[in-house]
Amino acid sequence: MKWLWLNLTLLLAFGLSGCSESPQVHQAKLFTLGTLVDVTVLHRDEAAAARAVEIVESELATVNAQWHAWRDSPLTQINQQLALGNTVAIDAATYRFIQQAQTLASHSEQRFNPAIGALVALWGFHSDERPDSAPPTQEAINALLKSAPSMADITLTETTLSSNNRAVQLDFGAFGKGYAIDQAVARLKQSGIENAIVNAGGDLRAIGSKNERPWRIGIRHPTAAGVIASLEIIDDESVFTSGNYERFFDFSGQRYHHIIDPRSGYPAQGTVSVTVIHRSAAVADAAATALFIAGAEQWPRIARQMGVDEVMLIDEQLTLHMTPKMAQRIQLEIDDAELNIVGGEQ
Amino acid sequence: MTRADYLIVLFAALLLPYLYVSQWSSSEVGTTAAIMNGDKTIAVSLAHDHTLTIDGALGPTIIKIEAGKIRFATSPCLGKQCIHSGWLQQTGEFAACLPNRISVAVLGDAPRFDSINF
Amino acid sequence: MNNKANSGITLKSTQEDHLIAWLAALAIAIHIIESVLPSPLPGVKPGLANVITIAVFIRFGWRAAVWVSMLRVLVGSILIGTFLSPTFMLSFSGAVATLIVLWLASQLPGRGFGPIGLCLLAAMAHMFGQFYTAYLLFIPHEGLFKLLPLLMTAAVIFGIISGIIVRSMMHHLEKGTDGITPSQRNVQEE
Repeated sequence: MKWLWLNLTLLLAFGLSGCSESPQVHQAKLFTLGTLVDVTVLHRDEAAAARAVEIVESELATVNAQWHAWRDSPLTQINQQLALGNTVAIDAATYRFIQQAQTLASHSEQRFNPAIGALVALWGFHSDERPDSAPPTQEAINALLKSAPSMADITLTETTLSSNNRAVQLDFGAFGKGYAIDQAVARLKQSGIENAIVNAGGDLRAIGSKNERPWRIGIRHPTAAGVIASLEIIDDESVFTSGNYERFFDFSGQRYHHIIDPRSGYPAQGTVSVTVIHRSAAVADAAATALFIAGAEQWPRIARQMGVDEVMLIDEQLTLHMTPKMAQRIQLEIDDAELNIVGGEQ
Repeated sequence: MTRADYLIVLFAALLLPYLYVSQWSSSEVGTTAAIMNGDKTIAVSLAHDHTLTIDGALGPTIIKIEAGKIRFATSPCLGKQCIHSGWLQQTGEFAACLPNRISVAVLGDAPRFDSINF
Repeated sequence: MNNKANSGITLKSTQEDHLIAWLAALAIAIHIIESVLPSPLPGVKPGLANVITIAVFIRFGWRAAVWVSMLRVLVGSILIGTFLSPTFMLSFSGAVATLIVLWLASQLPGRGFGPIGLCLLAAMAHMFGQFYTAYLLFIPHEGLFKLLPLLMTAAVIFGIISGIIVRSMMHHLEKGTDGITPSQRNVQEE
């Protein structure tokens, strides 16, 4: 009888623990950073998951308010001072942010160029909705290209920021989102959240796993419905894609997208999308943009310089160019893809 | 029949429709299948025809994918219930071979990925 | 066993013990027959052998029901050769779940459940116990829940059938209140 009771108790305990111990997936959608943010948290406790979502929301909102490129923000004030040739006093967080962006810009040979805010504004992308109106004239573009603003013009100390080129107008559109996600994830980890995905408008960082199995990420097909490839993430990685389909406008039969090549002053040609996997979301964000602009010829060199070794570039012929490391871990979800695996040794 | 008897019959009469609705409500053609072997799960696309051999607790089970459908083709188990389950195609369709600890579940697009990158 | 009168040794077994032993044997037989029934989840059974467990529970109480159902699960699985296999674990968990709800039912005030209520309750508990064990130990996949409606339907149908059987069994058992032997025959003939 004792034996039976022991078994019974064990079975009950086992059964009950089976119910309560497996953490549930909690999902929330937020609207911040000018996009839809999807927060996935795996946690036993619903209240803890809700707190995690609040943490993400507040971190993303803070970075958004700080670095917004066209609504009144500390960044627009910095830009006003830079245009006047003034030196701006900055705090430690601002220093770290701009320093990281400056380093990435330098490694990308200024393909990632957050100093061309004036050019982006000229193209009309400093608005939530770009109307389908005429693109800027060649003269206007040339006028901005002549002064060639870049992050190399910036002089940065831990407390001050200045530029020896008054044409520098900072716009961290290709970096702020990654930085914000990194901040949010760091705060999540501090507060004890081990398994989560922060996905802001398709760009994401995932930590931990989903109940002993990896997080599964689908990469959307850039020109068709569905998923072009998928991959699994264990522990902590970011997946960022820059695509010509993300923001664009049409004018007299021509499509103009938002990734402006700082060399030509026009939307970068030849690439449809670039996907980068890297631990840091900020690096992945900047690299996806830089490699998009670098194009099918130059991207392997720039990728090496930026320290990213998991890259997939899709060109206009829908050929998939990949680093060997990317090719190894990615699972294609389409038939008869044209594959080009680049660079035997990294 | 006592009052308690009627109550439990009523409970059963309410439970069954609830189970059918909650477990069987969605049925569309699935795009992938989750194959579970012991505690390992692999996802396979139903888009390509192929044959998988999976080593379970008793021995190899062969699973076939053909024209967007999936089935147990051979199994070392005695009952062959898994094979009698036939072709699976709708999301949520499920067949299991308990002796060999292998199961197949047809999934739609949505639950396949935890997050979509674009 | 059926002629204990001429035995000189005092076996301290009562008539009640004999009846329980007979019922356990019957339960084992049903258990073995049931093992060949098909099921969408091999090893998960509707639990016809519960008929005996419930009859014993009504007639002799919960402790006797524990003995009969544990004997059934152990001996039945040893005879089929599934002892300690997944099938055994499923039978065992089904039996334990049944016993838990029977114990709870025995704590109810008033008239409580009749045979049909008890059998239905036991059948659902039996199925849920097996199903949850299968999910927890063997196929921890959410897809398994797709089978639950079918399995529960079978459990409800078999639960009601068992209830009707138990009710008529009780009727027979009641008729031979002063001598257990006749009713014992009746049970065997069922």
